[in-house]
Amino acid sequence: MSLAKQLNILDYALQGLWRRRLKTGGIVIIFSAVIFLAASFQFTIKALNNLVDQDLQATPEIIIQKMSAGRQESIPLDYIKKLKGIWGIRRVVPRIWGYYFDATTKANYTVIGLNYKKMPMGGLLDKALIKGSLLPGSGEALVGTGVKEALRLPAKGAMLSLFRPDYSLKALKVSGEFMPSTDILTTDTILMNLADSRDLFGIKPGLVTDLCVYVANPREVTTIARKIAARLPDTRVVPKSQIKETYREVFGWRGGFASICLLTAIAAFIIFAWDKASGMNPDEKREVAILKVIGWQTADILGLRFYEGFIVSFMSFLLGCSLAYAHVSFMGAGLFRPILTGWSVIHPEMVLRPGLEFSDIFLIFSLVVPPYMAATIVPAWRSAIIPPDAAVN
Amino acid sequence: MLLNPWSIALCLISVLALCLIAAAGRTALNVLRYWDPASDSNRQIRLENETWLASTLVQNAMGLQVVSLILFTLAADKFSAVINGAMCATGSLLANQYGMPALYIKLAGVFLYGFWIVLHKLDISREDYPLLRLKFIYLLILLPFLLGDITLQTLYLLNLHPNIITSCCAVVYSSGQGGGMNLLGSLNGSTLVIMFYAAGMLLYALGLVNRKWPSRSIMFADGLLWLLFLWLALVSITVVFSSYVYAMPYHHCPFCILKPQYYYIGYLIYLTLFPAVFFGLAAPAVEPFRHRAGLETVIAAFQRRAGWLSLVLLTLFMITVSWHYVLYKLLGGQT
Repeated sequence: MSLAKQLNILDYALQGLWRRRLKTGGIVIIFSAVIFLAASFQFTIKALNNLVDQDLQATPEIIIQKMSAGRQESIPLDYIKKLKGIWGIRRVVPRIWGYYFDATTKANYTVIGLNYKKMPMGGLLDKALIKGSLLPGSGEALVGTGVKEALRLPAKGAMLSLFRPDYSLKALKVSGEFMPSTDILTTDTILMNLADSRDLFGIKPGLVTDLCVYVANPREVTTIARKIAARLPDTRVVPKSQIKETYREVFGWRGGFASICLLTAIAAFIIFAWDKASGMNPDEKREVAILKVIGWQTADILGLRFYEGFIVSFMSFLLGCSLAYAHVSFMGAGLFRPILTGWSVIHPEMVLRPGLEFSDIFLIFSLVVPPYMAATIVPAWRSAIIPPDAAVN
Repeated sequence: MLLNPWSIALCLISVLALCLIAAAGRTALNVLRYWDPASDSNRQIRLENETWLASTLVQNAMGLQVVSLILFTLAADKFSAVINGAMCATGSLLANQYGMPALYIKLAGVFLYGFWIVLHKLDISREDYPLLRLKFIYLLILLPFLLGDITLQTLYLLNLHPNIITSCCAVVYSSGQGGGMNLLGSLNGSTLVIMFYAAGMLLYALGLVNRKWPSRSIMFADGLLWLLFLWLALVSITVVFSSYVYAMPYHHCPFCILKPQYYYIGYLIYLTLFPAVFFGLAAPAVEPFRHRAGLETVIAAFQRRAGWLSLVLLTLFMITVSWHYVLYKLLGGQT
């Protein structure tokens, strides 16, 4: 089969699609809508994964939590001493990490208390602050943008009033605010020092919720984690890579769930495409018959139908993917974010940047285009075997 | 790990391919039972039309198989992000015993469907379809093969267990794969490279001899050499050439070259290697049919074209695969 012949068939296919532009346009629009849905999900997941990777960079390599009866409980500071002598540990920082339910706004805040001066890059924490470069002292707290909005805190001289477990009030002065660019991690955060958070949650002195272990060499993390687990058998040791993998798995799972839902849309579209392709009107039948009369073979008609399908899929794919990209990166994936990020009252405001890779595009392609091509084979064949004498009948 | 967009896409494509091949298989059964070129009954005319449907279905299934193969390697690479200890596709494919067999069977599938299409093209070049029965028996063999492919793939996906934070430490630290990125252990690199290039040169020589003085024995020798070359090429890509692409002496991996940070050079390498081997094998594979009525000239023409195409693709493959290696050797360092 020569190239010139194929080009001529392609040319004829383009002309034919243009002649039936209403029908073609309808299929392209619906097909693009399906591709748009699939691509938006994929791009959103991709962007969320990128965000998590980027934001987890500065978190401690290993977190140690004490377990009792299968549940987490406070860990004594004495445990730090037991870790002495494990080579490779750069620093162990005690931390209090808890959730505070605010009944008036019905929101959960993440309260973090730590001695940031002990963190390896604690001094850099003020780089994440939009206002107030001073780290909170005693009786002071830093808040995320979500907390500020939920509590309608004034710009200046704001005070937080939080309840201790015994309903006595604890007042904290808001000394600064996190930058919106760190929202995925900090939006619902209230950061204070260790003593204040212990006081707020009523935790006994000498106890914290977990220990953060910083490791200098990332390749040693697994070995060190194993050693810690051996020395502190009543604890759960969570390396950072696990947190990352869990995020990926969760997003992957939600993405998969969404894809299953999308399959119904794809199935509906396939039925539509099948129907459109098989419902040939008498004109189209006569067209094929005339082509046969003037010497086209069955293989040529099949080629023609293949090109038509290819052009329709290609245009829809381009259109759907471009729209999805715009939807995710310029409109923050407004349609689907609630499904993928969670259901809490305070939603992080974040900028989604799906860095596109060949693999993502290929995945979307293989989810939507093959079903369409497969659905049009039988109708294409039906039209290709129309006998030449149909033109006269 | 079935509930993941990659797994879903793989399953979807497999189901589609199965539908297509099964539909074509139905036609095959009908043809084998009722085909009668002498008849002009309605059934015979319907069957003649249906052979067109079957061939289109298999061609599409072949396309799906290529998509599925690429998707599978990409998916394995993506899975490495959630599988503890895996750093690229190698790790995720070795995560259970079904990964590598699934990859091999997919690869073999592309070749088998491709041969069917070659057979079909030769068959329809004649009005009396001399290879029709053979072609449809072959088609019926493809069906269990595809089922095997799908079974292995599903088993692989079902047995992938990403570790989740809440799992206990014993599980978390159970699968430390370490730095073992090499699928083939340590083979002597320089011997391998010499064998690789020698086999390549021999392929050119045999190809040219075959063009000038076509003979049956040379053609079969050529086919065997292509098989050997495929094995040599895959091993030397893994053991030698990939390291030069990564510019890391201890990184041997046939999959990472597919990644964007290496400018997708792996696609160029594999998408020239496999078609080259395919056409190299296709020429001797059709040789037994040469003596069927009227096929002599068609097959001779096909063999000449396939031989020429395989040598062109081989040249492209040699250039892409040797690029980093030769550059390194010439310049004495990484640029």
